[in-house]
Amino acid sequence: MIVTRRHMPRRTFLKGMGTVIALPMLDAMTPAFARAADVAKPAVRLAFTYVPNGITMNQWTPAATGAGFEYTRVMKPLEPFREQTLVLSGLGHRNGAALGDGPGDHARAAASYLTGVHPRKTAGADIQNGISVDQVAAQQVGKHTRFGSLELGCDDSRTIGNCDSGYSCAYTNSLAWRGPATPMPPETNPRLVFERLFGDIDTSITPETRARRLRYRRSILDLVGERTTRLAADLGTSDRRKLDEYLSSIREIERRIEMAEQDFTGLTPAIDKPTGVPVEYADYVKLMFDLQLIAFQTDSTRVATMMMGREGSMRTYPEIGVPDPHHPLTHHRGNPEWIEKVTTVNTMHMQLFAGFIGKLKETPDGDGSLLDHSIVVYGSGLSDGNRHLHEDLPVLVVGGGGGFRGNNHIVYPKDTPMTNLYLTLLDRMGVPSEQLGDSTGRIEHLTEVG
Amino acid sequence: MRPILAVLLLSSVAAVGSVLEAQEGARTGAAPDMAARKGGASSAVAGPPTLSPAAGFETLVKPFLAENCYGCHGNKKHKKDLNFEAFESVDSLTTDGDRWDDVVQKLRHREMPPEDEPQPAEHDRQAVASWLARELARIDNATPPDPGRITAHRLNRTEYDNTIKELLGVDAHPADDFPQDDAGYGFDNIADVLSLSPVLMEKYVSAGERVARMALFGAPPLKPTLTRLRSDGRRVREVRSVPDTYDVTGLSMPNAFHAIHRVAVDGDYVIKVGLSGQRPAGSSPVAVTLWVDERQVASIVHDPERAATFADDRQDFGGQTTEFKIKLTAGDHWISVAVPRIFEGLPARFGGPNPSTRPEPEPKPFKPRPGATPEQIAQQRKTYEATQAELEKLPLNGVRVSAVDVGGPYSQPAGPSRASLQKIYTCGHLVEGAHTPMCATRIMTDLTRRAFRRPVSTAEVQKYVSLVRLAEEQEHSLAEGLAVGIQALLVSPDFLFRIEQDRPAVAGRTTSPITQHELATRLSYFIWASMPDEQLRRAADTGTLRNPGVLAAQVRRMLRDPRAHALAENFGGQWLQFRALESTTRDRERFPDFEDYLRLSMRRETELFVDHIVRDDRSILDFIDGRYSYLNERLARHYGVPGVTGPEFRRVDLSATPRSGVLTQGSVLTVSSYATRTSPVLRGKWVLDNLLNSPPPPPPPDVPNLDEASIGTAMSMREQLEAHRKDPICASCHRRMDPLGFGLENFDAVGAWRSFDGKFPIDATGTLPDGDSFTGPVELAAILKEGREPFARAITSKLMTYALGRGLERYDTKTVKGIASRLPARDYRFSALVLEIVNSLPFQSRRAAPTGAATP
Repeated sequence: MIVTRRHMPRRTFLKGMGTVIALPMLDAMTPAFARAADVAKPAVRLAFTYVPNGITMNQWTPAATGAGFEYTRVMKPLEPFREQTLVLSGLGHRNGAALGDGPGDHARAAASYLTGVHPRKTAGADIQNGISVDQVAAQQVGKHTRFGSLELGCDDSRTIGNCDSGYSCAYTNSLAWRGPATPMPPETNPRLVFERLFGDIDTSITPETRARRLRYRRSILDLVGERTTRLAADLGTSDRRKLDEYLSSIREIERRIEMAEQDFTGLTPAIDKPTGVPVEYADYVKLMFDLQLIAFQTDSTRVATMMMGREGSMRTYPEIGVPDPHHPLTHHRGNPEWIEKVTTVNTMHMQLFAGFIGKLKETPDGDGSLLDHSIVVYGSGLSDGNRHLHEDLPVLVVGGGGGFRGNNHIVYPKDTPMTNLYLTLLDRMGVPSEQLGDSTGRIEHLTEVG
Repeated sequence: MRPILAVLLLSSVAAVGSVLEAQEGARTGAAPDMAARKGGASSAVAGPPTLSPAAGFETLVKPFLAENCYGCHGNKKHKKDLNFEAFESVDSLTTDGDRWDDVVQKLRHREMPPEDEPQPAEHDRQAVASWLARELARIDNATPPDPGRITAHRLNRTEYDNTIKELLGVDAHPADDFPQDDAGYGFDNIADVLSLSPVLMEKYVSAGERVARMALFGAPPLKPTLTRLRSDGRRVREVRSVPDTYDVTGLSMPNAFHAIHRVAVDGDYVIKVGLSGQRPAGSSPVAVTLWVDERQVASIVHDPERAATFADDRQDFGGQTTEFKIKLTAGDHWISVAVPRIFEGLPARFGGPNPSTRPEPEPKPFKPRPGATPEQIAQQRKTYEATQAELEKLPLNGVRVSAVDVGGPYSQPAGPSRASLQKIYTCGHLVEGAHTPMCATRIMTDLTRRAFRRPVSTAEVQKYVSLVRLAEEQEHSLAEGLAVGIQALLVSPDFLFRIEQDRPAVAGRTTSPITQHELATRLSYFIWASMPDEQLRRAADTGTLRNPGVLAAQVRRMLRDPRAHALAENFGGQWLQFRALESTTRDRERFPDFEDYLRLSMRRETELFVDHIVRDDRSILDFIDGRYSYLNERLARHYGVPGVTGPEFRRVDLSATPRSGVLTQGSVLTVSSYATRTSPVLRGKWVLDNLLNSPPPPPPPDVPNLDEASIGTAMSMREQLEAHRKDPICASCHRRMDPLGFGLENFDAVGAWRSFDGKFPIDATGTLPDGDSFTGPVELAAILKEGREPFARAITSKLMTYALGRGLERYDTKTVKGIASRLPARDYRFSALVLEIVNSLPFQSRRAAPTGAATP
């Protein structure tokens, strides 16, 4: 389906028809909160998967629109899940562009990806971005689970220096932002993700001792919380901001302790505790995806972000014949050999993602599979990495959680904000929101037959 | 300052850098001269240096803005809330300095006017930028000093670990489990950037409990686990004749295995070694040696019984393992496993040293299987011959260590360490039951003071004591009570953050000195990345830290202390970027030598080099042209320096080699190269960024790239880059970067010396923008050293950023410049630089709170 600016808004169209029967087709008008309140329905999970440095777009965008389009080379691994996959073209992040701030497209691509906000150019003094879509969802749906959200990454190396042209590394390290100045750095060590999810339970102590220690923790948090409130009153704005981060984190933990006092014996992770970071990239990514899967499966969280690589990634992929670092390769300037290598990397990423989707599909959840109850978004904050374009971004929405109809390639008018998609997704998560970053409304057509 | 560096610096990006140069330009008149010379004289633009501020603004700036900027930023439109027409007079430079700073940056980066708009002439653009920068600097000089204000500073991972160790004697690296700290301004200790996510808070709470219990009761018994160590990039190049000389330890051969492993607790550990590869039949058994932290700790002759029963035609080590049992202390260890004397014990016919005394098995004759058809026999013969041919080609150095696992801990020591008990039980009783009721208060008072790094009130401590009492009653144990109290301290904001109080302005002053304890804290985190020790705290307690002589003596003591290694590791590792070696990869085809031993050795070299300059108080100019370094055999072979044997690092004189200073060290040469090749551009940029603090602007996204495939075959790197620079857009920056990199072209992408790149001889000559030319790294270093002031300012800026934990601002320019100018008189000693920073206004004081602000 190609949506042009001349396309008549559905709302107008339906009004003209004077019918109410078609109403459920309207994405924006679906009473999402009513669905969430319906406890019999399995919870919907929302996941974002990010790949860095853009994608070879002419090997990505399907030639045809609508249903039954031919899968392109990069997307091919996902074809088995055609019925639950939507390919969206035309969406963009204008706030990723320079807008007078000069170079730094990689930092802006990552920072704006889930926020739709133009990040302030600073090496550190006054970091400012916006709240990210996953965190908007987490604030609401996170109340039902032990963890509001899960942030995962596959770059276990430290960043050195400024990450991109005068932007602090905070902008490239984190996709999720709890608030304008509070990035949520991803966990990159599988062992630590596991321990966080399932505890590093000290078996040498009795449950009673454990319970007592949890109570002490509470008293401790009361004490330091009170101290922080008093302290904040004495301090300047930027210090207060730091202490606010501290206080809200404390509240989150207090809630966790309450939940820990409930019974979580039903949690039996299906994998053994990982010992560390696997040497091979593919193993590493698979393991992180597995952890995300079991977090969803055990309903430990319903919101996750996963960075398969940091924006500007210099990872080499010798195992697939790409010994050159990823980022310089993407500045190929038309060199076919380089483009070929970039496409190979893009395809490998997709294979790994498809593996994850396959597992979601195999995992039973309520009356269906986890995939049936998930909304998984896959994409990058750059389309053409060579030219640093922030428009017509590659994006896929996979899974049945949104009630969308798959097997469709929809082309939206150029420069439709990506955040419009996010608002639509938030509706489906039962967290309708008025505005996110540069959003101008919802996007439509996601439930239509292509 | 030599003009060459003035030019190198001319189109700097960093705010501080650019203002510095502009001031410098103003002093020497270099900037306008250069603008005129390079850009073609334009009397209206270059202008005489005597032009008054008002006249300059009217005749130079305003017409430029009117022509190029008013369209979008004027009375009609004011995009980004910026209206230049509202800036009527030169006074706006004083009132809106930040905005003008931004204008300078935008012009210098050529970010404005946007590329789709008509562009001003380049020399006009630069001249306006320089004039503005100079005026802004002049105004700064005349304004009252501003020490800046450091935001509450969350301890970063390194600081947390070190502080826990100093506070409680627990050396357990709990921060390994924390999320990565974000970096800004090139360092990971920038207060504004260190945020606190819920995940991190969770980790603080559980680490607090674990650490408190470890200190009081000892490490919990850990279940032994087996950890496979990571190592990559090793490829054994097959050797079929015994070489004249080789590394008999085997450590520097790819047959060995090297990794850094962090051990959680003291204890017994098993090192499981997996072998692979083959050795000619009839060879004596090989030994396998284990090295920990550059020392050989064990050697095992690999299973002589089994060696004797190896399959007849060759000894196959595939799947064989051998084990070492050793004691390891908690902390990082460099673990190496090697096959020593690999060319010894071979059958005598190879002519190697100490040949094997075992008989070599007779070659098996060809025996066709009974009843085979002629076709089958022919096939069997073919297979037989292939096997024989393979045996003939069997390499002599095939045996290698293919995997290393560390298992443990076994027999972990029980109970708390003496060090921890002494740090906690300050009331003197080390045994449970012997405490007086006052002990809890006494202990918590001492701990709180130390943990919060300041004096504490009775009321403040009482809250923690109540918590101790509560738990003590429940658990019937003071130690259990203290565990809860200490946990509370460790998650308190007063511990996790270094908080400095704002103080109101006194008598109209804009600055107020920080307290003695705040100063002690700044000092210890600067030099040790840790909390103040007893001596420093006492000086602060008695209010004598600022006394003449006391502060300098403390700083000198701290720099000599082993804890000052934190400067080499954290400051050095990030400034010189050798930390990046951790994640650096090299194309294995092109750089088979780049394995973990080399990588670790490179890192160690630079770390030791920086440590030497810090702790032995050398001149900072050694960074540029020190003709010595720290090498082990592996690095010495890599560099082609003779006479260094064995794995331990030692100081080596390099005056007979082309190497001098950090620029020619493997670490720097590697991190400033691509995975597949060197890049004079990256290296040039590295020099500008790190040694001259004058980073070039980033390239526009779709600049033409080098034709990778043709380098070394169709065109030399130099020809490639010269073609690249024909494009005027590229030329403006590349003429600053490329020559610096050309000077280092004799070093390949892993820092080994080379005379050819592909089929092209290396041409290591370069001509800098002012026309100064040089050949090779030593002459390049000499030029950099001759213009030492820019380097002095660069290192001052970097070290000050690190010391303060904040980015430098315009108002810091004066301080940086002043410090750099006083260094020559102190022979550029490292301690002089540190003392200058420590005594500087921004380090000693803090912006005063506006009058009327709440008093703490």
